[in-house]
Order: sequence, then structure tokens, then C-alpha cells
Amino acid sequence: MLKSVTAKEHQYVGLHKLSALARTLHSFIGPQKSYKFIRDDRSGESALTCSCFCTIQNLDPTCALDQLVRETLQEHEKIYHTGSGCLMFLAGAWSNAALHGLRQGISITQIISAMSEGIEICLDAIRKSAVFFNGNDVILSRRSTAAAHSSRLSLSKKAFSEASNMSSNLQATPAKVYQQAQNGSGHRQIKLSRYFCETKSEMVSQFETYSVAHIAEALSHRCDNVMELAVEAMQIQSRNNQDISFVPFDITKVMTCVLFGLPEDCSCVVQGCIVLLADEKVSVFHHLKTKHLKVALVNGDLSHNYRHLGFKRPAGMQHVRDQPGVSGSSREEEWVKKVVKLLLDLGVNLILITGVACKVMVQHCCRHQILVVEKLNFSVLRNFAQSTGSVPVTYASQLGHHCVGTGVQLALWRDLSCHDRKLLLPVSISTGGNTELVTAILTSSVQCKLESLEDRFWACAYRLHHALKDRALLPGAGRTEMFCICHLQKQAKYCREKRTDSVPTAAAGTATALHTSVMLELMAEGLMDYITTVMINSGKLSKVKARTIVSGQLQTFDVHKGNAAKFPQLVLRNEATAVSSVKTTECAQTVEVYDNLCVKQEAWRKALDLVFLVLQTDGEVVSGVDQKMETDAMML
Amino acid sequence: MSRVEKKAPSVCTDLPLNNAEVCEKLHLMKELLKSCYGPRGRLKHVRNNIGGRVTTSSASSVILPALYSSQPLLNLIKTSVLNHISRFSDCGLFAGVFCLSLLEQARRHELRESLAIKVNKHCLSLCTSYLQRDDCACRVKIDFSSSQNLMTLAGSIISSKPACLLTEAEKLHISTMAVRAFLQTIPCSSPGPVTLGQTVTVTVRGLPVLDSAMFPGLLVETHDDFNQTDSSSELLRTVLFSTSLAGDLAELGDGTIEADPNLDTDLQILDQLLELGKQLVEDEVRLCVCQKVIHPVLQQYLRSHGVVVMERLGMALMEPLGTLAGTQPVATLHARIPSTAYGRVKNLSTKQFGFKTMLHLQADGEAAVCTAVLCHRNETMLDELKVVWRKTEDVLRLTLKEPSALLGGGCTETHLSAYVKHKGQQEASETAAGLRCSPAEFLLGVKVFCRSLDMVARSLEHDGGSSAMDLNHAHHWTVSANASEEDMAGGLGLCGCGLVENSSTEWTFLNTEYAEFCPAPLLGDSCRKPTVLDSFTAKVNALQVAVETANLALDVRYVIKDVN
Repeated sequence: MLKSVTAKEHQYVGLHKLSALARTLHSFIGPQKSYKFIRDDRSGESALTCSCFCTIQNLDPTCALDQLVRETLQEHEKIYHTGSGCLMFLAGAWSNAALHGLRQGISITQIISAMSEGIEICLDAIRKSAVFFNGNDVILSRRSTAAAHSSRLSLSKKAFSEASNMSSNLQATPAKVYQQAQNGSGHRQIKLSRYFCETKSEMVSQFETYSVAHIAEALSHRCDNVMELAVEAMQIQSRNNQDISFVPFDITKVMTCVLFGLPEDCSCVVQGCIVLLADEKVSVFHHLKTKHLKVALVNGDLSHNYRHLGFKRPAGMQHVRDQPGVSGSSREEEWVKKVVKLLLDLGVNLILITGVACKVMVQHCCRHQILVVEKLNFSVLRNFAQSTGSVPVTYASQLGHHCVGTGVQLALWRDLSCHDRKLLLPVSISTGGNTELVTAILTSSVQCKLESLEDRFWACAYRLHHALKDRALLPGAGRTEMFCICHLQKQAKYCREKRTDSVPTAAAGTATALHTSVMLELMAEGLMDYITTVMINSGKLSKVKARTIVSGQLQTFDVHKGNAAKFPQLVLRNEATAVSSVKTTECAQTVEVYDNLCVKQEAWRKALDLVFLVLQTDGEVVSGVDQKMETDAMML
Repeated sequence: MSRVEKKAPSVCTDLPLNNAEVCEKLHLMKELLKSCYGPRGRLKHVRNNIGGRVTTSSASSVILPALYSSQPLLNLIKTSVLNHISRFSDCGLFAGVFCLSLLEQARRHELRESLAIKVNKHCLSLCTSYLQRDDCACRVKIDFSSSQNLMTLAGSIISSKPACLLTEAEKLHISTMAVRAFLQTIPCSSPGPVTLGQTVTVTVRGLPVLDSAMFPGLLVETHDDFNQTDSSSELLRTVLFSTSLAGDLAELGDGTIEADPNLDTDLQILDQLLELGKQLVEDEVRLCVCQKVIHPVLQQYLRSHGVVVMERLGMALMEPLGTLAGTQPVATLHARIPSTAYGRVKNLSTKQFGFKTMLHLQADGEAAVCTAVLCHRNETMLDELKVVWRKTEDVLRLTLKEPSALLGGGCTETHLSAYVKHKGQQEASETAAGLRCSPAEFLLGVKVFCRSLDMVARSLEHDGGSSAMDLNHAHHWTVSANASEEDMAGGLGLCGCGLVENSSTEWTFLNTEYAEFCPAPLLGDSCRKPTVLDSFTAKVNALQVAVETANLALDVRYVIKDVN
């Protein structure tokens, strides 16, 4: 075996690659996303993606950097399910910053220490600008969501006109309410419901409706319809919760079910677990639909040759018969008969399994009016176990009376047969009123959109989940970023001044201060890029115009007095309102946009981690390289 | 009829060290290792060519195993460094860089191989005897009544790998944890031979570093889908299986079994397993742990009788758990379990770390087993943190053998180099006579040795700066690339190890000639403590490994390669 070390000749090639990769993903930033096609030239297949994570997942990693990026995004996505675009963008923007620094002769060590200082400033600024809310003030609605929705709209209009009457300056509008709630501890504790106490006292009865809906609306980032589903899911979930006070959104009890063929506005949220049944199972369903059913849960496959994880099949086993086999039924059939007999003895009508069932088994079960539902998540099984008193088992032969649960009901969710005869039948499995399982049914008439729709739903659901878990929100639409830019620039200025002040002291110190100030400016530039890109993506603005608006806002802002909420929202506004403060009807409907605190913090930090790793890497050690293959590599 | 295949003659390379290609590869390897050295070293992506997992590291224990060379000399050096790492963990890069520098410098100064070997040996003995002396100025005693030097030692090792990307607060947190873990594994008062305890490391991705913590006892990750959250503070009778309870047949090897088709082997083994389960329940076992998989039916049976079941423990945790519970692992399911095989565990509880659910087991009485939970934001950094943690653990343990440390930051290297140079100059004529060479030749050999040591100290700088040494204590300083003459006249700040501040005396760049002098020990100003320390035992051994490997390489006359 031979090995190679790629040469240093292209200096900092990793940073260039990272920034180039990030640039191709710019169109996924912000609320207005554009779809991208990824085409495989060899197979001719293509995929439609609408998120940064999805795109990276669909690309084949060709070098160490690709792998590193993929790994970082996967890790982030696994926990947060949102924010990958921001992560990637900043990784690109800050690798540009590092490249600029290197070009100006700043050493890697200094870049790292300066940028670490920068991220601390940013994270601190983020913490300062976060809006914390007290869990007890977020009370869920017990009302139907239709009512909630209409009241929300009217409320926000009222609130807006009230506010704008008081001051014609739009910039003061969002900040006004929050100022009153400022308390001395540094964190601004606000009660979201108070927003409306101010305006009219008879609205008291409606706070509860507003609270979560307000958070959700702020976090929807123009995916309003999908966010509504998430809110609904949460409301259905909490309906069963005895505790009236604040409950976080339990995302593990939410399922999605994608239906192709219905228009998108048919999407909705249903209590219980919705599964799609086909062909022969449909008749079993019709037989069972009004009854209270006994349920068995199997964690694994329902087939005779399935063995649990970790089981090793004997390799050297031979079967020897002393007489020619004449028995008609195979082993499989024997097994199926045995299991079906057991199921019938126990009176089981419904089997939920995480794996798949073999064909013979399904046929036999159907013949005996037992419904088999396959490919469920284990968390769903666990939920059924809790609500029905059943015990999940690995093998059907383990089933006994104590494993079987009762009280499950089947119902047809919606009859789609009029649309198309061949469609799958959506059936809801529920355990009466006490189930916390919620299914979001996502529909679209364009099949390839379903995946991105599902992605968006999960992104919204997780945003809501994180907000309620953090009990905090971050002013969005570029406001937090601008606040961070202010802080970075302030520190950069301070470093520059320190340098000129201290003339006779250690020269090394002054050089460091100068470099720090340069790097902080470059980091701020990266954030500036982020804001302008979002603005460009979401509107008719040109890059120059976007920059002018942002820098105009930055100049008028006083770091010492203000906080992030004092900035006007840049991104969702159109040009006219951002420049002048003309009241337009479009403006009246603008909602305040918020982001997640922990997601943003983590994404920024991970972006910088990625840049640091790439920045500090000067070579690649590849083992098992053929000497003739690689040309730009050095062989050991 | 058998085919006769013509064999190619072996390839013989004469004097491999004079071969340009070999030298080029040695140089490449030296540059590679050099670039990784020190807290500001550069990282390398390590992967295979078929797109396997990428690790990013600057640790010799990660990079060296990935290096394969067609040159046996390189593999020789690699193997001896790896061998050193496996015993001492630390100073792998030091050994590699020093060894390769010795070879390169000897060739550059056209020193005869035989002479180089003799002088290297002599210089090595000068170094080791000096390091053992009581008045050695680059050695620091480790005082176990104070944690300061231990903390510094741990901190230096943790900072030495930049891929961990730790902030100062995080470094402090991890080094405090390491020292605490080290102290916890030393039994307080046990007469007779002392057995050190163990620290088990568990890693959790995605949590901030400051969430890392130490726990007494063991934390075992549960892969359990069936939630069991029963915690109890009472003593639990424990059994530990090292055999698989998955219900599969024992390893057959290459043999075959002939069986009747009506015979269900799976069922028969399951019966046996249930028999075993019955005995466990009868013997009032409350915790059943298996290294491998347990059959779900057996699990169900045991659970229904109130036994806590843990499967897929893994090889690494078998020994610590055995110590903790005081059990003997059961290796078969075909015999009755003797009552002596049972152990005891106290305080069972579950803990949640990010996505991992862990079962926390504690010993009944004092068993020096503890668990370190290491957290970091992403896998790359966590992997490196784990490497560093193990290294710190080992180095701290080495201090029990020899309670000393060496000054870090390149100061030991420059100090030793100045000492060897001075000593060599002083005793040139008599030593040269002893080595049967001319004093000039001997001094050239000494120069090669000193230059190589200096080279290691210079490797610490990666940003284009230069290295300097003061002409009084012979400590090491780095001068940044954009510092001007006046800046340097103003002072250089603290030396590499943080013991000497800006001695106004003269200094010299490390790659220039200077008149020999006797490095003076630091007197009086003991108020300052070193901020960077290296492991004494590891470094002394690394010195020896480097010199002996270099000598062996210098001694190679022919490389014979069978190309068939």
C-alpha cells in the first residue's frame, strides 16, 4: 500500500472550497426559497430539493471537506431539524473572512483567537437580544383552531393600528411593547399575553388563544399553512393533558402521513395514528371499523425466518431426513398457522409492527379478519403500549394475555374513493380520547413536492418545539444579526483605538489589536452578507440597495441604549416601507418575525467550528492510493 | 504438469540514506510530523481512498497508523514511534521529528554514519544523565500535596491538540476533571500491593464541553427500546455474562451439524436459556448484564420477574463492571452458575445525556471505578478530545512512577541543546579520543545533535515566526513574523514554558551559530510557576527511542526487497 499527502501548493484550498460550496446554497436562505434540481448524469435521475441539508445529502461526497460538511450538517439536523442553511451560509461567509485575513498577512493563530473573540461577542449579543417568556404565561387554547385563527388576525390588526396611531414612525412599533416589560435583571422578561392587555381589557378571555399562536406565527417564516398544522398538532396533544399550565410540544408523538392526489389545502392534523391501507386490508378494515379492538404490538418483522438483532444463524447446519419428505405444508405455513391460532385464541384483531409482515401471514390474517399494520415507528408502538396497556414483543410467539391491549378503534379518516379508485385508504387508529399521538396529513397534487412539504412541516414543528423548550425567542428578520454587527463593530473600533492610544508599549500587542479589529470587521461583514442575501432572496431588492438599507439602519442605531428588537424588520418588508415610513396596507399585515435562540447559537458556533477545522488543516493523509493515479499528491 | 513461474530477482538498494528518493521521503515525513507539532500545529484530514470516514487530527496516534510507505526505513521509524506511543501515549511527534532531524542533519553535515552513531549515543547519555541529576534546571518536581503542577501538566497536554477547539474555560474544566479522575483512581488506604482503579470514558456528541462530568461508578448506555426506569438504592445481586445469550448455536468453526428437519434447534436453545433464567430468578438475581445480545424471550421472562436486564455491554466495559460488582463473568450457559459468580451493585439510576440514556451503577463499598462523560459539539472535535483525554490519563499515571515533569514550550529542548553543546566543547578532546575520532569531527557530531534538538523546538512555530534562545538560561522564545527589531529590543515577553520573563540578556536565533555557554539554573525567582509542562517519563523515553531508531537507520547498509 502506498500513501499520499496532498501538497500545500494551492494554499487554503479547503477554505475556498467551503466558501464555494456555501455559495451554491445561497438560494435556500430566508423565507423565500427556490427549488433546486440535482441531476445524476450517470443514471439520469434527478431530485428536487428545497433545503440546504437535503441538497448536501443528495450530493456525493468527493473530498474530505465534503464529508466534514455533511457530518456537521447531519449532526445539526439530527438535533434541531432547522438552521442548516444559516450554518452553511455563515461557514462560507466566515471562511471568506478568514481568507481575507490570511491575505492581509494575519497568522492563523491570530485569526483563530480573534474570531473566537468575535463569536463570544455574537453569542453574548444573541443572549442579550433574546426575548424570554415565562412558561406560565403561555397557555394553550382549548378552543377550536378556526376560531383561534380568526381572532389572531383581527388582533394583530388592532394591535398594529393602535401602535401606529401613537407614533407615525414605524421603527418604534415593534419595540414599544417590549420596552414596558423590561426588568432590571438584564433579561427582558416579557409576557406575550400582555401585549394585548394594553389594547383592550375585554380581550382577556382570548389571551390563551393568542399566546402559542403568536409564537407560532412569529416562527412560521412564511410557511404559515404548515405552521398552522404544527400548532394544531400541539393543541390536540395538550387537549388530553390534564395539566392546564405550560406544556412543551412533545414532538416524538407527532407523525406525518403524506397523501398524493389531494390539493394542498386539504392538509390537516388528526388525533391518533393515520395509516394508509391497501387492497385486501381494506375489507378487513370495513369489517372491524365499529368495534373495540384488541391490539398486539410486535417490534420486528412478522415472518417465520425473522430473528432478533444480534442473532447469528448457524453456518454449518445440514438437515438430514431418513425418509423422503411428504408433508405438504412448508415450515412457513406451519409457523403462520401457529401464530394465527395464537392470535385467534387471544382474540387479537389488530397487530402493529415496526418491520414488515410476510405475504402468507398477511393473507392468513386477512382471512381471519385480523388487520396487520406495518412499518410503524417504535415511538408509536410505545405510545400504544402506554395507552392500551399492551406490551411490545419481538416474536409473535411471545404474545400472551398480558401483552394484549384493548380499546383501540379504527375509523375512516376521509373517503377518497371518489377521487380515484386505486388510492390508498387513510384509516385512523386511535385509543379513544386518551391518545397523545397526532398525525399531520400532508397533501399535494404534485408528488415531488411532498417531500419538501414534509421537510417544511418538521422544520416548523421543531421551531415551535425549541421555542417552547427554550422559553425564549430571538428577534428575526435580520434584527439579531444587525445587533451582532453593531457589537462586533463596536469592539473592532475599541481595538483600533486601543492601538493608537498605546504608542510606546509592546508592539506585538498593538499588532494583535489591529488584527483583531480587522477580523471582527470581517466577521461583521459576513453577517451583513447574510442579511443582504436574505433580503435579495425575498424581494425585488438589488444587492446594492439592500446594503444601503442595512448600513443606514446600522448608522442610526445606538448600541448602548438599544437592543435587537429596536431594529426594524428588514427582510420581510418591501423596498418602499423599509426606506421610508409610509403606512401601507401591506405593512399592516406584517407580523413580527422571530427565530429560535438555541438553534441560532448552535448553528453559528458550528459554522465557526467548521471554519476553524478547515483553516487549521494544511494537508490530507490518504491511505491506499495507487501511485499512478494521483498526480498532485506526494507519496511516502 | 505444474507451471513454472519465473521469479524476479530481489531489488537491493545500497546505502539507502544516500538515495535521493529515500531522503526526499524522509524529509516529507519530517515536514508532515513537524507541521502537526505543538498547540498551534496544523491538522490533517485522514481518510482512505475509497471515501471512508474522515478524521481530522494532529495527533501522532491517529496520523501515523494511516501512513504506509514503500520504503522500509520509513516504516521502521513509524513502527518504533507507534511502539513508543502505545507504551507512553505522549511525545510521539517529538520522537518522530527528532529522529528524522537527526538523520537529515547528519546527511547535511556529511557526517560519517559510524561516527554519527557513536556521537549520538554519547550525547544521549549526556542528556539522560543530566535529566536524572538533582540540579537539572529543566526538570520540575511534582508535589502530590498540591495539585498545581498536576493541573499544569494536564492542561499542557489538553492544549497541545488544536483540533479540540477548546476555550480557556473549557481547557480548565477538562484538566480539572482529568486530575480529579486521576486522584480518584488511587485507592486511599489499602495495605499491601496497591491496585489502581479505572476510568471509563463515555462520549456524548452535541452537548457543550462544559457539560462533561465525572461520576463515581459506571455509566452504561442502554440500547433498550423497552423503557425501564426503575431506580433503586438497595443492593442488587448481579450476574455478568460474557457469552452470547442470543439463542444462537455456539461457534461451530468449520464443522457442520447434521440435524433432523423436524428438530427446531432455536427452540431447544431457547429452552436452555429459559432454564438459565429460572435459575437466575431462583437465586434472586436483580440485575442481569450480558456482554452480547440477550434473547428477547429471555429478556421478557426476566423482566416479568423484576430483573433489570442490560444487553450489548461491549468488551471494553466487561472488566470495569467486573471490578465494580465483584463478579466473575459467566462464559457458558450449559452449566449451573456457581453462587460465587454473583456480585453486587448499589444505587441503580438512569441519567440522560443528550440523546443517550445511561444506567448509573455504583459499587458497594470502595471500588475505584469512575466514569468520565466527555461532551463536545461535533464528532471530529470529540474524537480528538477523547485522544487527548486518554493521553492525559496515561501521563498523569506516569507521574506515580517518576514524580517529575519537564519544562514545556520548547524550553527543555533548547536547554538540553545548550547543555550538550557546552559539555561537548568542554570535554571535546578526551571524548574524541575515546570515540576514536578527531575533536573537530566529534564537535560536528555534537552540532548535528544540538541542531536536531533545536529543530524540535523550532517546530512549535507555524506562523512564519522565528525561534530564539536566551544566552543565560537557554530557554525558548518565539518571535512573531511581523515583529521588528525595535520590538524585540523591547522584550519578548515570557518564554515558552512561562518560567522566565524577558531576560534582558542577550539572545540568539535558533538556526544561527552562537558561542557555547553553560545554561544557568534559575535562582531565587521561584515565585513564577511554569505554565507548560511535559511528561518526564514519556519525553526521556522518546529521546531514547528517537536516538536509537536514528542510529539503527544510520546503520542500515542495504535494503533488500523481494518484488515477487
